Amino acid sequence: MDLTVQLIVNTLQIGAVYVLFSLGLTLIFGVMKIVNFAHGEFFTAAALAMSVVVPWFAKALGLSAIPVFALSFCVSVLVVLALGLVVYKFGFERYLRDLIGSFIVSIGFVLLLEGLYLEIFGGAPRIIPPLIPGVANILGAAITWQRLLICFLALAITFGLYFLVARTKLGLALRAVAEDQEAAMLQGIKYRRVALYGFLIGCGLAGAAGAFMAPLAAITTFMGADFLIKAFIIIIIGGLGSIPGAILGGFIIAAIESFGSYYFDSSTATIALFVLVIVGLLVRPQGIMGHAER
Amino acid sequence: MPRDRRIYIASALLLCVGVAAALIVRDDYTVKLMLWIATSALLAACLRFVLLIGELNIATAAFYGIGAYTAGVITTIFNGPLVLAMLAAAVVAGLVAAVFGFITLRVKGPYFLLISFAFTEVVRLKYTQSNIIGGNSGMIGIFPPVAIEPYYPAIMIAIIGLVLIGLYAIERSPLGMLFKAIKSNDQIVLSVGISVLVVKVICVVIASAALGLGGALYAHSNNVISPGDFGFLLSVFVLAYVKIGGEEHMVGALLGAAFLTLLGQYLMGVGAHERIFFGGAIIIAMLVMPQGLTGLALQLGRRLGWATPAASLGQHK
Repeated sequence: MDLTVQLIVNTLQIGAVYVLFSLGLTLIFGVMKIVNFAHGEFFTAAALAMSVVVPWFAKALGLSAIPVFALSFCVSVLVVLALGLVVYKFGFERYLRDLIGSFIVSIGFVLLLEGLYLEIFGGAPRIIPPLIPGVANILGAAITWQRLLICFLALAITFGLYFLVARTKLGLALRAVAEDQEAAMLQGIKYRRVALYGFLIGCGLAGAAGAFMAPLAAITTFMGADFLIKAFIIIIIGGLGSIPGAILGGFIIAAIESFGSYYFDSSTATIALFVLVIVGLLVRPQGIMGHAER
Repeated sequence: MPRDRRIYIASALLLCVGVAAALIVRDDYTVKLMLWIATSALLAACLRFVLLIGELNIATAAFYGIGAYTAGVITTIFNGPLVLAMLAAAVVAGLVAAVFGFITLRVKGPYFLLISFAFTEVVRLKYTQSNIIGGNSGMIGIFPPVAIEPYYPAIMIAIIGLVLIGLYAIERSPLGMLFKAIKSNDQIVLSVGISVLVVKVICVVIASAALGLGGALYAHSNNVISPGDFGFLLSVFVLAYVKIGGEEHMVGALLGAAFLTLLGQYLMGVGAHERIFFGGAIIIAMLVMPQGLTGLALQLGRRLGWATPAASLGQHK
């Protein structure tokens, strides 16, 4: 019983970050119809930024841990947004709705950014001090307080995005463009501007996920790549472009991973994921929550 | 078609020059470089072949790897002859592609892209888990028979050249027209009673059999293969060859392969900044010449007023 609870708690806390990361990817796909292989680089950028900014703020301002992290989080996400803007302007802007062209461009950015990160930050893993110490106990399952806090924050952002897409005018525009770009333009929606906003929100989500992961894992220049492959699986399972699908998919994958790696081993769990994708696509090509698309 | 005949004659001549060069040149590095260009060209042509039906096949790397591993198993474990290894590699890759294609080609666009990506990663992970084929470190000691070893580069270039000409011939045949028709509008093809799925599977099987053969050739020239050689990143580089060379015509893919392979080798010499340069080159190329090198040549040709020879490259649709 304790074991099951522990595995469920693990699922929830890994899943929360997966969801955040995949939401960005699925949003960008929905609005721009591109598969952004560079998404992981935004994640990495935020984590690397945290590794620089957190110690700096702690030293220069002498604040306690929580405000330092809050400030660093904001700075890291801003850095990612700026990077996203550059990537959009010098790359994706010309390849909107061009699956193969944008794929190549995004790979170009993957190589370029990964090379630059390695050049600037070096190959050694970086570690930042924990946000808050201590371990919480939920129904017999142990989880560190900081993981619990981060899990809640990630869920809060997810709800925030859900609200944004479901209730605001920008959300309506995003949905309209994802549904039918031409019809949306006929209604006076400025497609390019909406695409840019969608892309930046997606980058911001990747950045938030990266900043949240920073205190939890060793920060390396290639940590985004692993997340990227999982995020692809998540959005295929959930349905490309579907926000509820990404949320559901994120937790399904996290569950398979934490239960699978406990009962078998982690590379079997990874293969099981891929097999699941292939079988899932056969049964329901548009994903769990996706719409059939032409 | 006279223009076609000219292309075949030109490529046959080029092939002879390549084979002769591989026989004459004594410098090991130059020969290796030629072989790298040849294999890159084959990979690019095969990826482009599936692009004819409008699908981006990331599993290009997977089928190449299946061929290489099949050949490696036959040569090192069963001590089979080279010819058998090459044939088996093509057949196994073709058969796997038939099953893979029959299942996955029901979806298209981003879904096919991602599923072929997933397939490539599964196959790669499987290699690392199978101890009989060397697990993570791969297979070693895949040599061609001692008697033909000095001629092996020439044989390899000859075979790859013939396969490339064959792929071009198929592209120009009625079957090739059908591939392009599916890319433009599969519903019309369906409406005249042709099974789109079967034609797509045929396309992927042809490309994969060629890739399998290429993988076998690569395994015997490199002597060592490991799972890491056949990850999705290989397909990504190959796609860059095709895109930067220009996908309109097969010559573009081959040019891109040669150009980027040479550039890659040069950058290797430069050292640690390889990734930055390569990434930067891809982005700049995509921004400056969205139609690739051949597209750029075409534009330049038009501007200079001698568009005819260059233009004929791009304008058969």
